Amino acid sequence: MKAIEVRDLVKVYGHEVRALDGVSLDVEGSTVHALLGPNGAGKTTLIRVITTQLKPNSGYARVFGYDVTKESSEVRSLIGYVPQEVSLWSDLSGYENMLMYSKIYGIPREIRRRRIEELLDFIGLSEASGRLVRTYSGGMIRRLEIAIALMRNPRLLILDEPTIGLDPGARSLVWDKISEFRRENGVTVFFATHYMDEADKYADYVTLLNQGRVVSHGTPNELKRHVEGNKVLITLKNNTDSSRLSEVLSSVPGVAISSFDNNCLELVISDVPTRLPAILEKIFVSGYSVSEVKIREATLDEVFIKLTGRRISDESGRMKEVVSVRKMIRRGG
Amino acid sequence: MRSIRLEPLFSMAEMELRRLRHDPFEIITRAVQPILWVAVFGSVMAKIRAFPSVGDYVSFITPGVILQSSTFISLAYGIALIFERESGILKKLLTSPIPRSYVVVGRALAGSVRASTQYVIVLASAAVLGAKIISNPLNLITGYLVLVLACMGFTGLSILIASLLRTRERFMGIIGAITMPLFFASNALYPIEVMPDVIKYVSLANPLTYTVSALRKLLVSNSYDILQETLILTCFTVLAIGAAVKNLRRIIE
Repeated sequence: MKAIEVRDLVKVYGHEVRALDGVSLDVEGSTVHALLGPNGAGKTTLIRVITTQLKPNSGYARVFGYDVTKESSEVRSLIGYVPQEVSLWSDLSGYENMLMYSKIYGIPREIRRRRIEELLDFIGLSEASGRLVRTYSGGMIRRLEIAIALMRNPRLLILDEPTIGLDPGARSLVWDKISEFRRENGVTVFFATHYMDEADKYADYVTLLNQGRVVSHGTPNELKRHVEGNKVLITLKNNTDSSRLSEVLSSVPGVAISSFDNNCLELVISDVPTRLPAILEKIFVSGYSVSEVKIREATLDEVFIKLTGRRISDESGRMKEVVSVRKMIRRGG
Repeated sequence: MRSIRLEPLFSMAEMELRRLRHDPFEIITRAVQPILWVAVFGSVMAKIRAFPSVGDYVSFITPGVILQSSTFISLAYGIALIFERESGILKKLLTSPIPRSYVVVGRALAGSVRASTQYVIVLASAAVLGAKIISNPLNLITGYLVLVLACMGFTGLSILIASLLRTRERFMGIIGAITMPLFFASNALYPIEVMPDVIKYVSLANPLTYTVSALRKLLVSNSYDILQETLILTCFTVLAIGAAVKNLRRIIE
């Protein structure tokens, strides 16, 4: 069953800003699906429609078959959601935040305490749980928020920029916990990000969003095929006669020689996994030996640039926002 | 048919009490002004016998001063929702399985619980300063419940204003503009009979007047003739919270 089904979704703010301009996408159950795009692409708006916060102007979105506008309470009972902004009471302790949300979520009294302690242990915050959230680091805050979202055993976990503003160590810890929970519970994960490496590494499927439209979607590898060929650098052992090798290699389909200086050969190869062995074999058969092979894989960023002419990651505007949010936590807002 | 669960409502009030326990600063600072009203304004006016019809003046203004301080806290409470709108808390509450009305009713109760802490502080200080307060626990408890009811209405009003204005600056501007007039155009400090006609009408439309009146009957005159006040306050609270529920979605759009 589809976890999320979105068709021709349009959301206009005011009268002119078309935040979503006819978005359609499917998220299959028990997969990890990333929504990747630059700031202002419409990622948060899409997530807010799916989480029943905003009504779309036209089109529809369904979560496990329930319509997000007509059957919003059913949808809300199936999802766990972590918004981009901090969603904790900074003047309460970590434990108290979990306790308050467990009551709001209606976790039965008998299992409440055990569930909270299990989750605090799971995300590694047992020891810090008595401290005020105001004293937490960004990574701790995110992990606690994820634990709160998991408290209800959701079938669909929706994360809006789960690692924004975190350092690399905290980012990978957040993802370790999400992956671990997924292995144990098979929850579907739908997350928005503008970190292409995160989408590449953790998502089974990626939807590229730009200016309110879906640019492309598929597995990270499928998307990378949009960039024609990967660069492969082959260093040969001896100085060689370049013209003869060029001739040999030009007979292999899907290979283009972009440069050949001294004994360093730079190729552009489409579909590296199947073609590279054939190329290496040709080189060996022709009597050359290879000392080093470097493959530079295409990144989703390159795919995005190729499809839209824009880069995904443009940190400048966003960082300001993150810094101000973090400041607000410190102040106890 | 899903059963109606009330725990989420009370948990928001619990959240508020836990916040107060971690940081009781506001409760203490908010108590300074009412204590000064009773101690300075009250005793001076009592001395010059400004309003002979009201009997002991310090006792007379004690309910008014309780309301002064708790109404201000209630009316300012909406700013919490503006902060929570800027943080992610409101988004999370609105995507949780509880009905949206719970968010407003629960927070109205929470704001009211916070505001009504003034009841204890002001009553105790007034008693120390010589106010003659009825000490029957039933009167005291009934008075507290009336205050909670009224403060829920004022908090609801505050949430409504927060939903409509959505920024801290505009919100604080409006709240600053309405709280003092609300206080002065009521029977908190002087009996309605001495007011000019225009202000008399304003004070009759002012929910603060009915709260003060009910508390005065319970705490000073030892009278339970508060049905009319309670009905009017119930209407006010239901209307304010109803309007706040209806407009809540504006705060997140």
